[in-house]
Amino acid sequence: MTEPATIAAIAAVTVITAVISARGIRIARTPADFMVAARQVPSFLNASAISGEYLSAASFLGIAGLAMLEGLGALWYAVGYAAGYLVLLVAVAAPLRRFGAYTIPDFAEGRLDSSLLRRAATGIVLIICGFYLLPQLKGAGLTLQVAFGGPEWIGVIVLGAIVTLGIASGGMKGITFVQAFQYWLKITALAVPAIFLVMVLHHPPIGSVSNSAPNFFDQRTTIEFPQTEQLTVGRAVQVDAVGQVDGVVRHGRLTLTPGTHAVSSGATLIFPTGSKAPEVEGSPSLTEQEWTSPLLHLGGAPNHPLAATYGILLATVLGAMGLPHILVRFYTNRDGQAARRTTAFVLLLLACFYVFPAIFAVLGRLEAPGLYVSGQTDSVVLVLPRLASAGILGTVLGALVAAGAFAAFLSTSSGLLISMSGALSHDIMGRGVRAFRSSAIAIGIVMTVVGIFVASISINVLVGWAFAIAASTFCPLLLLGIWWRRLTWVGALGGLALGGSTSSIAVILTMVGIGKTGWPAVLLGEPAIWTVPLSFLTMVCLSLATPRALPHDVTQKLLALHLPERVRPPAARRSELGPSATSLLATGASGRTSPR
Amino acid sequence: MTISEPPPREVVRAAPRRPSDRSLTPMRDDLYEPDAYGQELLSSLMRAQAGVSLAVLLPAISLLVLYPLLTVLLPRLAGLQVLGLPLTLIVLGGGIYPPLVLLGYWYVRRAERLEQRFVELLKEQ
Repeated sequence: MTEPATIAAIAAVTVITAVISARGIRIARTPADFMVAARQVPSFLNASAISGEYLSAASFLGIAGLAMLEGLGALWYAVGYAAGYLVLLVAVAAPLRRFGAYTIPDFAEGRLDSSLLRRAATGIVLIICGFYLLPQLKGAGLTLQVAFGGPEWIGVIVLGAIVTLGIASGGMKGITFVQAFQYWLKITALAVPAIFLVMVLHHPPIGSVSNSAPNFFDQRTTIEFPQTEQLTVGRAVQVDAVGQVDGVVRHGRLTLTPGTHAVSSGATLIFPTGSKAPEVEGSPSLTEQEWTSPLLHLGGAPNHPLAATYGILLATVLGAMGLPHILVRFYTNRDGQAARRTTAFVLLLLACFYVFPAIFAVLGRLEAPGLYVSGQTDSVVLVLPRLASAGILGTVLGALVAAGAFAAFLSTSSGLLISMSGALSHDIMGRGVRAFRSSAIAIGIVMTVVGIFVASISINVLVGWAFAIAASTFCPLLLLGIWWRRLTWVGALGGLALGGSTSSIAVILTMVGIGKTGWPAVLLGEPAIWTVPLSFLTMVCLSLATPRALPHDVTQKLLALHLPERVRPPAARRSELGPSATSLLATGASGRTSPR
Repeated sequence: MTISEPPPREVVRAAPRRPSDRSLTPMRDDLYEPDAYGQELLSSLMRAQAGVSLAVLLPAISLLVLYPLLTVLLPRLAGLQVLGLPLTLIVLGGGIYPPLVLLGYWYVRRAERLEQRFVELLKEQ
């Protein structure tokens, strides 16, 4: 179902992004320009830009899809993504801006005087951004698949190529205005279809989501299978089949007998009104009570739900501050107070946005039960507008959500790739434009190839893992570095190493399918619940054991973090732009996300 | 200060206040002295700022931690319907955000006022 409107919408988003970026580059060329522009960005615009870069495929597609699949408890992800900015606001925003470090490795080196710590932080930047980039690519695959059919990897390669080429050519940088534009595009693309669907669609009353099981198709339902699925049929049902079922190519009426059937990718089944929906292997089928439960059902099973809920809250609330591609944006604030105001606006903008995924999740459960059968709940946001109306309205709404989704992938993945290439080229490959470009291309190719292989994992789960690793590494580094005088580089390094390795290993074990039930599933699938305390504890104990590693000018550093700009002596102001800032300005020309 | 004293004249300048303001210098230099007094000033500032932060964080954390816990202790709460909608949807789908946003704004105001007081404290001496 190739739709010109969707192609046009996605192309328009890409072109507008490129055009605004290119104009922005001409305006901000020299390091001095960055600084001047940085002082002029008002808080609200800046907050839109931060939200634009922050709201990724996980927020746009993933939360609605996961909540539809695993129940309303999955909305805790959204709550955590937003609440993370409250913690960022009260504990990190103003001091970090005042300190004047532009990236987390810069902060680590500037605060604790250790280049070893800096390199460790760089490695963790690559890991977090890598985990965060995969779901963006998967989301792009899904979007193009829903719009045009065909396999998912096409979209992965398309987005990977656009972003890699854009950044390597220097044509797509994280400019404030582009990111701000993309926030407003994203919220419009979600809000307009959501409001429209609630008002116009003849859905059952929303409240009935608590008592009507979606196990029966209440109308003739067409289900496309983009991936091969195993269906378990309870009662014999007559369907219209096109494509390969149980190894035989069908075209017409077919009776599915009770038992398991393999439906190959590309097949389409049409179920008659009133038939019972088949169950899908590996996909949960929740009772209504479980679905409306306010606790997280990991993998759709009531498996220590309270612990899983707290695990995801810890990861998202504390992980938000440790996302490398977001933190650089805070330096476009004029001073610490402006950083606070900006962060408070971000919280407001995110809260407005996260109302809509919940609406899509509920409507999806009521209106699109076929997605459970085809294992495509992640695409509910993209599919619903098309189901609502067959005419031009459905096409327009479908094109609008596709454009919003593509904006989400573009903005987040370019921010991530810029952070990764900046970190890799600055600390490992040697500085300069050429190193930055080759880093971008190398990372882009590697991530695209890996992205093809993660198709089966839910977008939101992948992003949750990036947050878990960030919460177990950079969160303790930032919180203790800002508020605790006695942190040493030895302690910080130990905490980063232990927190980073345990959380990464837990995530990788879950990815390869170890620990599917009971406590192992919770502790490996939501590692933040134990890796975050472990990392904090390691940093504190090791720091107390190594008082000699304390920086000799720790008071100066704390003053730089906490003293309001108005009462600083001129000398301290200059030192605030210490080696870290100059190093940024050196690489700024090579394309690291920089304040404009 | 007696009431009969004329109010201090404010000089309005085109440029924002610069750190070279004379009135600030002596106290500010204290901050950079390694002696106990400067240290004390810094840690009192940090304590006050951390206090404002915690005053905002604690209600927010208790909201996030208590709601899931309550639904486990009172299973009826989990399945409750309000105005024909599941309570879970009302809370997680939007109701939990306004308190968080309000706490954020309250923090910004309090933190700015605190810094204003700190700057005035330095000026007074």
